[in-house]
Amino acid sequence: MSLVHRIAPALFCAALLLLGWEVYCTRAGVSPLVLPPPSGVLRALQVERAEILRHAQSTLTVAALGFILSVSFAFLTSVALYFTPLLRRGLMPLLVASQTVPLVALAPLMILWFGFGLLPKVLLVILVTFFPILVSLLSGYRAAPRPFTELLTAMGAGRLSVFRRGILPAARPSFFAGLRISATYAIVATIFAEYAGARSGIGIYILTAKNTFRADLVLAGVVVSACLTLMLLGTLAGIDRLTARRFREAPHAAH
Amino acid sequence: MLRIEGLTITAGTAPLVEGLGVDLPEGQLCCLIGPSGCGKTSVIKWLAGILPPGLGAQGRVTRDGAPMARPDPALAYQPQADALFPWLTVAENAGLGLEIAGRSRRAARAAVAPLFAPFGLAGTEDLFPGQLSGGMRQRAAFLRTIVQDSRYVLLDEPFSALDAVTRLRMQDWLCARLAETPRGVLMVTHDLHESTQMADRILVMSARPGRIVADIPLTTPRAARSEAALAETRMTLKSLLLED
Repeated sequence: MSLVHRIAPALFCAALLLLGWEVYCTRAGVSPLVLPPPSGVLRALQVERAEILRHAQSTLTVAALGFILSVSFAFLTSVALYFTPLLRRGLMPLLVASQTVPLVALAPLMILWFGFGLLPKVLLVILVTFFPILVSLLSGYRAAPRPFTELLTAMGAGRLSVFRRGILPAARPSFFAGLRISATYAIVATIFAEYAGARSGIGIYILTAKNTFRADLVLAGVVVSACLTLMLLGTLAGIDRLTARRFREAPHAAH
Repeated sequence: MLRIEGLTITAGTAPLVEGLGVDLPEGQLCCLIGPSGCGKTSVIKWLAGILPPGLGAQGRVTRDGAPMARPDPALAYQPQADALFPWLTVAENAGLGLEIAGRSRRAARAAVAPLFAPFGLAGTEDLFPGQLSGGMRQRAAFLRTIVQDSRYVLLDEPFSALDAVTRLRMQDWLCARLAETPRGVLMVTHDLHESTQMADRILVMSARPGRIVADIPLTTPRAARSEAALAETRMTLKSLLLED
């Protein structure tokens, strides 16, 4: 299926939604201060593009940095947990519990402890994105077909070699699934951190717009954050395609 | 000569295999046949050194009189599924055992390359297993097993995933391949027809707890094994398998 065929239904639905919104705003006579029409948001984006771009860059830097650190950290942790069941039993409950801490409580604390710089925001992104990647890696390791690992062992491969040759490649699809989930969290988490206090970023932009009752600018910020997330997802899909001809050509099936 | 003595495999407290002993000379194709659940696969896995956790085993293996730790490069194991890694090319899959035994990727590829044509896989070197037919996948799995420098081959129902016609063709084909480089073969199967067609000797296992109840040599040369010539052996096997 060509790219056009794949995205055509999504584009159509989005266009229909925007059209309905626009028509509603003009016909029902809603105040643009309450609900600006899509055209108004577009105008805001255009007028404020330099300012928005500056904030978007800042947000993207934090999100990307946090995400990359999070992936590396999650990978190392997953390997450590895989090889030491005792550590897994000891740490997993803590990691699960860490996911129940509400961001609303944590974000201001991070600012309090680490200031307004890069660090608290990156930490928050790591905290939010780390867990889905870790869990998907661990479940990917478990999903490695038993005949694969048995064959490698029977061939005389050691634990590390079995892991590298059989378990790690088998975990790839589930690793990428985890990456996609985390990538969608990364931007949102960054905006949240900025919301709690920052010098620049889409989060602080939205906060300022809200405080001056500029609904159109708030929505412009939302549009940009959605675009940033799509960009991150697109990059991941690109990496997926580029790095592994072999993984796409061979449907992963445990026959 | 590979000798298994006093092999008992237990699942929890229940014995799965009890007091099993087998001598496997090099150059002999020996079929292990028995009802499902009698522990055939567990015997093979134990020999290959990959008995699943949860099963306990007692027993010893000696090769030419010397005790043998496993996994051992002298034993090449082929699982029931073809277990070709979907992310490796056919050539990389075929050379996997050699690579693990310490050869470089290039050396492994050079070693498997001349076997692709006789295995009916010429031109498939750089394809992925997902692009092959079932019969070709099975041949690739055999290639991976045969190319390892082993003296014994352990096959766990190697034809079970194939359709009937491909299966018949592959049985003859495998016998021919094995005859080129003689080694001891222990093949698990539950197919009467398959065992009588291929084996030099058939070991019959009882239902759980599995033990060897009959050791039947087949002296008729493979080429002369007509349906009529095998009828009697099959009757014997059938009555043994249906006994309990």
